[in-house]
Amino acid sequence: MRILLVEDNRELSDWLGRLLRKSRYVVDCVHDGADADAALSTQHYDVIILDMGLPQMTGLEVLQRFRSRRGLTPVIILTANDAVTSRIAGLDAGADDYLVKPFDPDELEARIRAQLRRRQNDKSLRVVFGALELETNTRQFLLAGEVLSLTQREHAVLETLILASGRVVSKATLSETVFGLDDDASSNAIEIYVHRVRKKLEGQGVAIGTLRGLGYALRKQDA
Amino acid sequence: MRKTGSHFFASCSRTLRGELLAWLLIPLAGVVAFNVWTTHRSAVATANLITDRTLLASARVIAEQVKDNEGSVEALIPPSALEMFASPDRDHVIYRVMAPSGELIAGFPDVAIPPRPPTDLQPVYFEARFRVEDIRAVAMSQPVVSKSAGGNALVVVATSLRGRDRLVTELWLRSLRDQTLLVGIAALLALFGLHRGLAPLLRLRSELVARDPGSLRPLAAENLQTELKPLIDALNHAFARIQTYITLQRRFVADASHQLRTPLAVLKTQATVGLRENEATAKTEALFAIDGGLDAMTRVVNQLLVLARAEPGGAAMRKEAVDFAGITRAALESRAMLAFDRSIDLSFEGDVTGLELQGHVTLLREMVANLVENALRYTPEGGAVSVRLTREPGEIHLSIEDNGPGIPEAERERVFERFYRLSSGTDGTGLGLAIVREIVAAHDGRIILSERTPPPGLHAEIILPTS
Repeated sequence: MRILLVEDNRELSDWLGRLLRKSRYVVDCVHDGADADAALSTQHYDVIILDMGLPQMTGLEVLQRFRSRRGLTPVIILTANDAVTSRIAGLDAGADDYLVKPFDPDELEARIRAQLRRRQNDKSLRVVFGALELETNTRQFLLAGEVLSLTQREHAVLETLILASGRVVSKATLSETVFGLDDDASSNAIEIYVHRVRKKLEGQGVAIGTLRGLGYALRKQDA
Repeated sequence: MRKTGSHFFASCSRTLRGELLAWLLIPLAGVVAFNVWTTHRSAVATANLITDRTLLASARVIAEQVKDNEGSVEALIPPSALEMFASPDRDHVIYRVMAPSGELIAGFPDVAIPPRPPTDLQPVYFEARFRVEDIRAVAMSQPVVSKSAGGNALVVVATSLRGRDRLVTELWLRSLRDQTLLVGIAALLALFGLHRGLAPLLRLRSELVARDPGSLRPLAAENLQTELKPLIDALNHAFARIQTYITLQRRFVADASHQLRTPLAVLKTQATVGLRENEATAKTEALFAIDGGLDAMTRVVNQLLVLARAEPGGAAMRKEAVDFAGITRAALESRAMLAFDRSIDLSFEGDVTGLELQGHVTLLREMVANLVENALRYTPEGGAVSVRLTREPGEIHLSIEDNGPGIPEAERERVFERFYRLSSGTDGTGLGLAIVREIVAAHDGRIILSERTPPPGLHAEIILPTS
């Protein structure tokens, strides 16, 4: 799951980024409206966290431009202004949710999860593929009822695949969701993570299949 | 309009309409009273004139009949002489005719004789009493040609005053009625005129009563008399000033909430990270971050409080005689550590006497400290900041020069705005110069920002009046 965090306050940006990464999200941090606009035009994100008061271009403008480009990614706005009018302006411009500063980071994470669930068109808290289960609230994988221990990157790979529910995910898409802007992403690296995840899935009837030139897909196999 | 009416009749409350009407009608009533008196006098005069004419005519008719009849003077009283007085009032007519010798030849002997004798051509009119009645009388002399007793006979004709009095009353009442009517019409016209004239004022009043209490929309000044225009202009001016003040205040609250809420969000996030981390080093790192954040927030809160005190209408501004040189030195000492830390050469030149002024010690020290701190923050390490105090007639000049990047001319006004930070900003609160400006204003001084000579650098000069 890849998140774009747009916040001009460096400290908040750094610590929130750190918190979200710890929760196994891939986080890109940008600090002004222009950078946010550029990132949104070139990258794909699953959730956008957008501060309203930004230099260069206001959060509202960034949001309007993004929506006018038919960007569908859920947007949660952060605002220091608790006036109803400002919240209305944000929601009207296409935000899906808002939080007023100071907020509880736990609540922010719950709202991120809620937005992700909504996007899946499925309000269930559990995504199942064969013996593999993803609890969307805790973002934990269970394999045959046992907690599957994964690194952050491995988790991102498997999450993308399971949410695609059997469809093929291209290598490019996969690496976009696994690596942030600052990461040094090579296509080989994806293969390494896929390889590691494969190993961890072995023997439970779920595997990652490779389609040369197309990408990867999760599939069931007879044990 | 219903309300206006009830106000108008409310007994003791002062109303403009009531007062204007009173000022119009009370003098009018005085004029009318005087007029009633003069009218009465003229009615009496008119009635007397009419009575006198009749008396004279009657007296002439009688006088014509006074003749010498073989040595004795006789008077035949023709009935026509008395019929002239016939009226519904049944006035008594009496007369007295006396021969030149003084002998009574007709009438009553007790009819009063005139106060002075009439001449040939001038009859004498007079008032007197006859038995129980007041009378009006005329006396005329009639020459009698006689061989024995020639001379003037005296004819006195008198009448009681019932008819005359009735005439006076009639004349007077008629005139009184006309005048009352006139005053009534005048009052109505005045009321109407007042109503029309005061209509814009009343409209203004109902507009003010009906408007939303928070509304500061200017009032329309069209269709208003020139006397009212200054009032409306003053009101609108006051509205505009309050509006500006409210706008500034709102923006300040919005800015302040942003300045306080964001650091709180940071602290909360840091605390959450600290709680979630398992390793002691990571927890300590979060704690250090929280500690630093709290220091920064404390500074913002303190600055906000200073600002609130320096604002007009802030804490009571009791000024006292203070030694500005001492204040400056104390402020510099309080920022000395910052200068040492950044290896900045901070110098003070101000051994001038007579730097007393009326002011607020804490605020003035805060003002100098903020300026010096700004200079120290923007000056690169190893730079120099020099502070100089000089005295001009009636003024104290404080000038602070640094060799930092200076402030671009376009931004020199905006830097005084609250929470405004230069684009090349540091980690200041954004309140320092706003505080300085408020304190300078509270002491009737002024501040000038200019480029240091030689550039680069900022030269800030504060001029405070000593009296």
